[in-house]
Amino acid sequence: MYDYQELIMSQYTQSDLREELRTAPVEPLLPVEKKLIAWSLSLGLTLLVVLAAINHFFPVAL
Amino acid sequence: MSNAYVTDFRVPSTTESTALLNEDWLAVILGLFIFVLGLAALVHVDLIGWVVSTSVWSNFSQALGPASKGYAALGGIGALLATYVALTVVLTASAAALKSDVKRFALAFTAVFWIAYASWIVGNYAQFAAVTPAEQQKFGISWSLKLTNEGAYIFALISGLIIANFLPRFAAAIKDAVRPELYIKVAIVILGGFFAVTAAGKLSLASSLILRGVAAIVEAYLIYWAVVYFIARKWFGFSREWAAPLASGISICGVSAAIATGGAIRSRPVVPVLVSSLVVVFAVVEVLILPFVAQTWLSHEPLVAGAWMGLAVKTDGAAVAAGGITESLILAKNAAEGVHYQPGWILGTAATIKVFIDIFIGIWAFVLGYIWTNHVNVTPDSNKAKLKEIWQRFPKFIIGFVVTFIVGLYLALGTPADVAKNVPAAIGEANTFRVIFFILTFFSIGVLSNFRALWREGFGKLAAVYVVSLFGFVVWVGLLISWIFFHGITPPLAS
Repeated sequence: MYDYQELIMSQYTQSDLREELRTAPVEPLLPVEKKLIAWSLSLGLTLLVVLAAINHFFPVAL
Repeated sequence: MSNAYVTDFRVPSTTESTALLNEDWLAVILGLFIFVLGLAALVHVDLIGWVVSTSVWSNFSQALGPASKGYAALGGIGALLATYVALTVVLTASAAALKSDVKRFALAFTAVFWIAYASWIVGNYAQFAAVTPAEQQKFGISWSLKLTNEGAYIFALISGLIIANFLPRFAAAIKDAVRPELYIKVAIVILGGFFAVTAAGKLSLASSLILRGVAAIVEAYLIYWAVVYFIARKWFGFSREWAAPLASGISICGVSAAIATGGAIRSRPVVPVLVSSLVVVFAVVEVLILPFVAQTWLSHEPLVAGAWMGLAVKTDGAAVAAGGITESLILAKNAAEGVHYQPGWILGTAATIKVFIDIFIGIWAFVLGYIWTNHVNVTPDSNKAKLKEIWQRFPKFIIGFVVTFIVGLYLALGTPADVAKNVPAAIGEANTFRVIFFILTFFSIGVLSNFRALWREGFGKLAAVYVVSLFGFVVWVGLLISWIFFHGITPPLAS
């Protein structure tokens, strides 16, 4: 049986991938990426604060 | 090119992709099958009491025995042989359903089972596993490493690591049965029932813990992902194609998330394959370190420790298994101080956190897919992200976990007392299989972690992002969040 991952890997040589990672041109962050990062962090921190408040005011029922 | 280190997860093989079942559904079927067989004990039919169970031992004749006294006549070796035969038959049939090579699977599984279980038995030797002075006295020893019996998982992991790094040809020969994702998913399905029985004794605490699992989702998807993606793109200069699967692999759920993200953003298949290799290697490092750190500093905050394992250790197998080791180590340390907590709560917390995080993989992959195909690499309509991908990427084994949890809870709380009193024992027999699947998972993860091959391939830059993100951020933020939401909560005391 020829595994899918072996098939995938066989299409690339070691030097291909190493070279690709070494020489890949820098892609500047697009506005949509910046928005994704900023929205994720803002929403995440807000939700964590809300959850922490809920956690504080409604403690675990022991 | 050596591919030994990239065989760490089951991207479906070319033949498997045409099979009727995928590994996820197969795990649900196997887990439910074992769970239902265990429940037969409720009507006084003991179908799986022959499964082998291992105790801490100093004399080998004490080591093995069947899980149920009804099968005592089998003896330890008989129970072990019965377990091997049953698992070989069932899993080989599963391999056939996946259209794998049945003969190769059966032979490979034979090697995997015996080496893994032998490692488990060795790890249960009293001088490794005995914890309390009373146990040491019982076994006639004056010292022990105090690793506990579940610390023996580490022995299975180390056996796998030795094979991967020093016997690569043997590792390649047994790879058909080296399936950590399948084994852990079966274990998690069974774990749902076990956790239900544990939770039934203290339902209000259990529901509070489950609600706190929401914080884990927020942390993994919205905080970890964004920070790791930024680090990979801005500090290490990775392209979007590499940075997105890398961020998902490090932040969310390791292998599954990297693969889902790779598919969603239409990256080349080689990208999630390599990221997943890294995930597994670093998960091994975490499993070898974090449970012992938790035992040292969090023994008085058991549920913080459990949540931390679920949040910090990547891949389902490593995270849930790390929860098991952590539970064993922390319960043992507390027992030595005279505090006897009920088992199941630390492991249950780790598993719940992990399952909560897994649930959203499909949704997150869809969000990324939508952004990528509409705004980053605008693609023709036929290749844009579609809503049905959410279901396609949903980890189906979670359905099994939920089913066994609900059934277990109903049986423990909703049935007459004479039935309910037998539920823990019935699910306990199924849980013995869960332990065996954990052992197979640990061994398999070890076999797939060829550090030398990874080093040889020269993907230091990928590994550097992983090290910086995991040990500089993910582990510590995970600890902080676990502390905020779980500190001061302790499991009920054992009656």
